[in-house]
Amino acid sequence: MFHHRPVRPVLLGLLVLASALATSACAGTIDRRVDPDAPDEVGGAVLQSQDIRTMAENMARDLASSGLLTSTADNQTVTFHIIGMENQSSDVINREIIISKLETQLFKALGGRIRVLDRSGVGLEAVKREREAKRSGAVAGNAGKRGDVLGSDYVLYGVIRDRVQQGGKLKSAYYNVVFTVTDLETDQKVWQNDYDAKFLSEKSVISR
Amino acid sequence: MLRPLSMLGCTLILAACAVRMPAVPMHRFLDGDLDAVAAAMRTEQQDGAEENTALVLNILAQCELFLGDPEAAWRDFGTAGRIMGNWQTSGGEAVAAIVGSEGSKTWKGDPYEKAMNAFYLGLCYLWRGEPDNARASLKRGILADAEIGDEKFQADNPLLFWLAGRMSLLMGKDDDAEDFFKEARTANTFARQHGSRADDAEAVLGRPRDGNLVLLVECGLAPAKVAHGDLDELARFESRWHPAERARVELDGRVLGETVVLADLDYQARTLGGTEMEGIRKGKAVFKKTSLIGGAALLHVASRGRGDSARTSAIVGGGLILFGLLTSTAADIRHWPTLPATVQALTANVTPGPHTLVIEFLDAAGRAVPELHQTWSIDVPNASQTYYLFRSLPGLDRQATARAAVTGPDRTEVHP
Repeated sequence: MFHHRPVRPVLLGLLVLASALATSACAGTIDRRVDPDAPDEVGGAVLQSQDIRTMAENMARDLASSGLLTSTADNQTVTFHIIGMENQSSDVINREIIISKLETQLFKALGGRIRVLDRSGVGLEAVKREREAKRSGAVAGNAGKRGDVLGSDYVLYGVIRDRVQQGGKLKSAYYNVVFTVTDLETDQKVWQNDYDAKFLSEKSVISR
Repeated sequence: MLRPLSMLGCTLILAACAVRMPAVPMHRFLDGDLDAVAAAMRTEQQDGAEENTALVLNILAQCELFLGDPEAAWRDFGTAGRIMGNWQTSGGEAVAAIVGSEGSKTWKGDPYEKAMNAFYLGLCYLWRGEPDNARASLKRGILADAEIGDEKFQADNPLLFWLAGRMSLLMGKDDDAEDFFKEARTANTFARQHGSRADDAEAVLGRPRDGNLVLLVECGLAPAKVAHGDLDELARFESRWHPAERARVELDGRVLGETVVLADLDYQARTLGGTEMEGIRKGKAVFKKTSLIGGAALLHVASRGRGDSARTSAIVGGGLILFGLLTSTAADIRHWPTLPATVQALTANVTPGPHTLVIEFLDAAGRAVPELHQTWSIDVPNASQTYYLFRSLPGLDRQATARAAVTGPDRTEVHP
C-alpha cells in the first residue's frame, strides 16, 4: 500500500504559506480620514501634522498668556506681524503651513485685542495697488476707511533646525523649532519659545 | 489535487512579484523628444506599477524641467523625494522581497539616485526663491549619499556640498557656507583619488563664492544596472556610451571656458558597496541550485526504484524542484536611466542684462558634437545670481526657454 499522507500535508502547507506571503504583498489599500493629531503612519522621520498643530497651539497659548501683545502703557492695541520662518534643517518643508497655523491660533487666542499686519510681499503689493487706485479715483473708496498703513510694534519669526545622525541601519532626526518676538523699536528679544521633536527610523533589510 | 494548487501557488507568487522596469523610450530621450518621454511616463504613472511611482515621477520631472515647467518638476521631484527618503517598510513588503522577487519592493533608488533627486529638487526650490529649502534638499542629498555600504565613500559628492555652500550664502550664513565649501574641496580631492572623473575644479571650488552666472551642465548617461551571475542574482553597473563628455561655453561670442566635472555618477554608482540583500540573493541562488539538483536526483532515484520509497522520493523531489523554480533570485535592476553621467559647472562674472549663450558639447577628443549645439538667450539681473541647468540632448534650446533663479539675501525673484 502506498503511504503518502505525511508528505502531502507538508507540501500543501508550504504552498498555502507561499500563497499567503505572495498575497500579503498585494493586500488592500488604505483610504480613510485620519486624526491629524495622531502619529503619521507613513513615517519618514520628518515633522508631521501632529507637530505643526501642537507647536502652533503651544506657541499661541504661551504668547497669549505672556500678555506681551495685549498690554501697552497707553492702552493702545499692539500691532505685530509674522515675518516668516527660515528652514535650516535637512528636510524641505512648506513654511507657510506653520506660519498660517500659528497666525490662526493667535487670532483665536487674542481675538480683536491685537492687530496682525500682513507684511507679505503679496499683501503689501495688494495694499499699495488698491490705495493707489482709490487715491486716483479709479475705484470708489470708503471715506471712513481712509488711513495710514500701520507700522508694526513687534515681529515674530521662527527658525527650524535639526540634527540628523545615521549609523548602520538607524537614523535619528532631532528637530528644534524656535519662535522669537522682537521689539521693533528697541531690537530687544521680548519673547521666545521652542518646540522639539525627535524621530528614529530603522532601515529595512531590503533597502540599501 | 496537488497539481492545481501548485499552479495556483506559482501564479500567485509570480503575479505578486513581477514589477518590471518602467518602459522608458530612451531613443526618444536621446533624440531630445522629451514630450514623448513625458507622455510615456504619464501613462506609466496611470497604468504602471505603484511600486515604480518614485522612479516614474523622477523621469517625468526631468522632462518637465527641461521642457520649461519648473513648477511641475518641483511638485514631482518633491513627491518622488518623499518616497525615496522614507525608510519605513512594511513587513509584508519586506517578506515579499525576500521570499519572492526583490523587484517587488517599492523603488526608492540607490544613494546616488537619491542624491540626484535632492540636487534637482534643490534647484527647483532655488528657482522658487527658497534658498533655505534648496539647501535643506541638498543636505538631504548629502545624507542620502552617506547611506552606502562602504563607509569610505560616504561623503564624496562635491556638487552637493558646493551648492549647499552657495545656498548658505544666499541665506546670509557665511560660516555655514565656508564649512560646506571646505567639505566640497575635501570630497572632490577624495573622489579624484579614488577613480572619479571629477576635475581638480579649482576654477569652481577654489573660488566657490565667485560668479553671478552659474551654469550647471549635465553630460552623457548614467550607468545602467544589469543582472549578473548564473541566476541573475548579482546587480552590477555598466557604463553607457554617449558622445558628450564636456561642454564649452561662449557668451556673446566670447569663450567663457569649459565646464568642470563636480559629480561623476559612474563613480558614485561603482562605489556603493554591498548590501544585505545581495547576500540574501546569493543564499537564495545556492538554495535554488541545491533544490533543483537535489530534486532532480530524487526524481532520478524514484524513476529507477519501486514501491513506497520511490513514490516518496518522487514527491519530495518534485517538491524540491517546485520550490527551486519558485525561488526568485533575480536582483532588482530597476534604475533611473535618464540621469547624466556627470554634472559639471562653470561660473562667471558677467555684466547684468541680456546675453546670448552658446553651449558646445565636446566628445572625448575635445571635438564639438554638432547635433548637440545649443543657443540660449539669458538674462543676468543686477546685484544677484542666476542659475541655469543644461543637458547634452539635441534641440532642447528649441523646446524651452532657459530657466534661471535670481536670488539674493535681500530679494527673491523667479524668472521662468
